[in-house]
Amino acid sequence: MTHASSHPPRLLKNWGDEAVVYDAASGDTHYLKPLTLALYQTCRDHPGYTAHEIAAALATRLGVQNVPHLHELTEETLASLRRFGLLESA
Amino acid sequence: MKLLQLPRAELRRQLAGAGVWLRTGPFSLKLQSRIPFVAEGLAQLYGQFEVRNVHEAFADFQVSVNPPASLRRWVRPQAAFSFDGMQPFEPLPRDQAFPMLERGLNWCVSTQAHQYLIIHAAAVEKNGLAAILPAPPGSGKSTLTAGLVLSGWRLLSDELTLIDLRTGLIQPLPRPIRLKNQSIDVIRLFSPDTYINRPSHDTIKGTVAHMRPPRESVLRQHETARPGWVVFPKWEAGIPATLTPRSKAQTFMFLAQNAFNYRHLGADGFRIGTTLIDQAACFDFHYGALDEAVATFDRLAERRKS
Repeated sequence: MTHASSHPPRLLKNWGDEAVVYDAASGDTHYLKPLTLALYQTCRDHPGYTAHEIAAALATRLGVQNVPHLHELTEETLASLRRFGLLESA
Repeated sequence: MKLLQLPRAELRRQLAGAGVWLRTGPFSLKLQSRIPFVAEGLAQLYGQFEVRNVHEAFADFQVSVNPPASLRRWVRPQAAFSFDGMQPFEPLPRDQAFPMLERGLNWCVSTQAHQYLIIHAAAVEKNGLAAILPAPPGSGKSTLTAGLVLSGWRLLSDELTLIDLRTGLIQPLPRPIRLKNQSIDVIRLFSPDTYINRPSHDTIKGTVAHMRPPRESVLRQHETARPGWVVFPKWEAGIPATLTPRSKAQTFMFLAQNAFNYRHLGADGFRIGTTLIDQAACFDFHYGALDEAVATFDRLAERRKS
């Protein structure tokens, strides 16, 4: 299960389907491309979802088919968001 | 009084003695130098700037450009920049004393003035709106900046764009525009009457000369401007001027990475930077001819005015 990390505070600013996130803990700022932003928002809206559930919700959100490739992309993107400290595994 | 009102001999005398107090944008500095190239550069390029008696006014930065203490000065004359007794750079050949002063002043501002988000970018203004021009070296940024300020745009800064953390407005810091290599002749050709000082050769950037900032830009150096555009210029020979919208999020990331103190400011830097991007239209701009580039910027300004 995965949820958007809430501690320490993060500042998110989006323009259209892209965003930037400031992480107060590390002082780093990250660029979120459209897929990454959609996934981050999905995790924030549905804390506790598994990777499979996130991929399904993401497919609905983006209006695309829930195919194996989307699962792979979801896993990769979740991993990078965890690396940045923007997501936590429950 | 203005620096140009000081007779040249008096300027040299004061510089070599207690120093000269000078205002540039929101900063004041006390400058001391025994090197004639520094007095020459100031007289040629800073004539419109306010000076005061050094004993009567507080200075934000106390700087000097003088021969270093080492024995090397007897072998090959050198100049060393000093700020509050620190020497942040290695000494350079003495004929580069003036470019070294300019670099040193940029260093003082970019390492000390944390009331601003300081972006490595030029900025110009028209109709109250500022165009911020961030770009890597060699992109034609300073050439474009010079061309714009010689065509009715106001110079806010050539190197350091200062975003006030309290207001989000751009604080002018109009100083001489540094031109490098071919840009020197491009601007001489573009505007033959414009004053450009004696080039310094073999600097780390090649041949460098400075263009005198327009009088009106110096007189209005306390007049802030609102962010209007962030434009990434790129000069390429023979191509037409083309503006292409670019991603705001990616523009923010570039500005953050090219700001001198973004990390130092923490969340304040993020807030002021994102507010700036909210207000600004963001473009990539490719151009091959300076007059065409100026016409494109003029159209941008007209569109925002109407």
